[in-house]
Amino acid sequence: MKKVLNQMKYEEKGRIVEIKTAGVRGRLMSMNIRIGKEVKMLAKQPLKGPVAIEVENAQTSLSQEMAKQIVVEV
Amino acid sequence: MHKLKLTPEERWDYLDKLAEEVVTLKPRRLSLKDAIGDLTIRPLTGIPIALGILFSVWMFFSTFAGFFTDGFMVPLFDEHYLPWIQDIFPKEPSWLYALLVGTPGADNCFEAFGVLTTGLFVPFGVVLWAIIPLYLSVALLEDIGYLPRLAVLVDNILHRIGLHGFAIVPTILSFGCNIPGVTAARILETKKERFMMMTILAIFIPCGAQLGIMEETIAGEYGNWLMFAIIGYLLLGYFVVGWILNKILPGRSPEILIDIPPYQRPIWKNLTMKTWIRVKCFLVHAVPFVILGSLLVNILYIVGIENGNLTLVSFEEGDRSIMGRLSIALEPILAGWFGVPKETILPLVTAFLRKDLAVAQLSAIPMSMYQLFTSVVLISIYFPCIATFAVLWKELGFRGLLKSIAILIISTFTFGGLLHGLWMLMGVA
Amino acid sequence: MFKILLMGNPNVGKSVVFSRLTGANVVVSNYPGTTVDYTKGYTKIGGEEVEVIDVPGTFSLEPKDVAEEIALRMLKEEKPDLIIDVIDATKLERGLYLAFEIMEKFNYPLIIDLNMWDIAVGKGIEIDLKKLREILGIPVIPTVAISGEGIKELADMERIKKVIMAKEKKSMNEHLREILRRIKEGVKDA
Repeated sequence: MKKVLNQMKYEEKGRIVEIKTAGVRGRLMSMNIRIGKEVKMLAKQPLKGPVAIEVENAQTSLSQEMAKQIVVEV
Repeated sequence: MHKLKLTPEERWDYLDKLAEEVVTLKPRRLSLKDAIGDLTIRPLTGIPIALGILFSVWMFFSTFAGFFTDGFMVPLFDEHYLPWIQDIFPKEPSWLYALLVGTPGADNCFEAFGVLTTGLFVPFGVVLWAIIPLYLSVALLEDIGYLPRLAVLVDNILHRIGLHGFAIVPTILSFGCNIPGVTAARILETKKERFMMMTILAIFIPCGAQLGIMEETIAGEYGNWLMFAIIGYLLLGYFVVGWILNKILPGRSPEILIDIPPYQRPIWKNLTMKTWIRVKCFLVHAVPFVILGSLLVNILYIVGIENGNLTLVSFEEGDRSIMGRLSIALEPILAGWFGVPKETILPLVTAFLRKDLAVAQLSAIPMSMYQLFTSVVLISIYFPCIATFAVLWKELGFRGLLKSIAILIISTFTFGGLLHGLWMLMGVA
Repeated sequence: MFKILLMGNPNVGKSVVFSRLTGANVVVSNYPGTTVDYTKGYTKIGGEEVEVIDVPGTFSLEPKDVAEEIALRMLKEEKPDLIIDVIDATKLERGLYLAFEIMEKFNYPLIIDLNMWDIAVGKGIEIDLKKLREILGIPVIPTVAISGEGIKELADMERIKKVIMAKEKKSMNEHLREILRRIKEGVKDA
């Protein structure tokens, strides 16, 4: 089932299948967040705040606008 | 053989293969550190923890400052240094005495207002002991890796005013001293973000020096709640003006994308080195301005202008000195618009040179609690101390500085006047 | 003066390694024309006077912020004798990504400092050091900078001299090509 990253629930795991905008893809690339990578949802901040995810035991936090660009297969 | 060139995807594919070869992950139960990590990042538990941490930093600051300032510095300065300097000075009060030692027969360095008394007591007796605990706490939070988590927690609020989570770092630093706070704002990505951050920091965030003096004067007399109310009002201004600036300034505000590092044990050597670098920056940059400040203010107090030539005015007939004339001239604005006694012109002028000195002088002027509230807010907002002013000039350039000052003056009149209006509504003005 | 650039991703314990190597005499300076500060330190390794520069943390050499631009400019302008790439052992690929990029684009001898070894062990991450060294063909030294473990092996002038000699014979770009071949072959042998 496909969903956007910030729709993932707490502790839910998924695999990245698509990153929409090139700019976001480039920035995430250098942190090894890319298509095919398994991602786990750690925390979502209220009031459209950033989301925190774990990719290969590295924790990263990105804004909700960025998270909306990432499509995940759950 | 031409040079090897890889695309990012190729490079990652090789690295993933290498990792499969070399790294094996042993299943293990959640370690305590991971558990703490998750707790501090999830909003439900993270926000109370963040408030707890900030409150304990505050307690550490006030106990550390109180212990050294009241425990050692006040007795040292008031019972030993002041009598000694008052004795060695020539007996009959001359203008030099008034300039260097201050009001004759003063019983404490706080209200003597001489260059060698208050001018030395404020930086070394009070401010130094206020900024050491604050810098130590910030260095500790940095080293254990808590600051990125704090940045994530506050990003949603700061995002509303066009900044992202990491702007919390310069903000906290500014509570130590505006100089490192403003310089730390340089790490922000866009020009718009830097300008906004530096402006609202310089206007609304009271520096550690000022907090130290507030702790001494206001908290002592009226209790901590008044101080928190003042800081709350200033933070309100910080967000309101930030929000407005975000709307009117061109340019985009960036999205947050930060790495959350694992928690680490701090090393004492690193903490002390970082704190020492920042304290040294205070001693080198700020202290000369404090001494210059008290010198200039005293000169304004002692020198009068009598139909064109400079005359010496004794403390009693203060109104004939330049300071006196200034306060009479500005009274309509001070009393009318802001509803504060005209004597507050003295702390306001001092505030341009040193905020902490200004708040100290304020406590010597009889006024109601509400007027005190307005005056302290005015002193914080009115002008950054001259040291911060110089840093702003360096960071923003002259044109940027002028824009910043315009915003500052507008904020002063609106937020000062607002308070006066509020007191009138409450019937206490 | 022998010059070492200390590079690596942000938050990998680089400045801890730096203070272990250089001790107290440290100079904090601002990189000209920018808003980024960096620290320089001096020490003796194997009796030789060495200057160590703590380069701002970066994920890659395609800069996406000011700090990464400085790291790239330092590589071009400082002409170091050696690069120590500090890697967080719990995030091996991320750290090596930068190492691969440096080897590909710059011809400076490079050694790997696999820092936070204790945290990796704590997380159940086991790295086969022997195999990693075989594949990379350059020194890989595990350290726990916080306690100082491994720092002596890192600051070992004989090993550094050997790496510099190896670079004279074969360029780092060429060296990287062999690493990639070994990674591909490694998959066949396993």
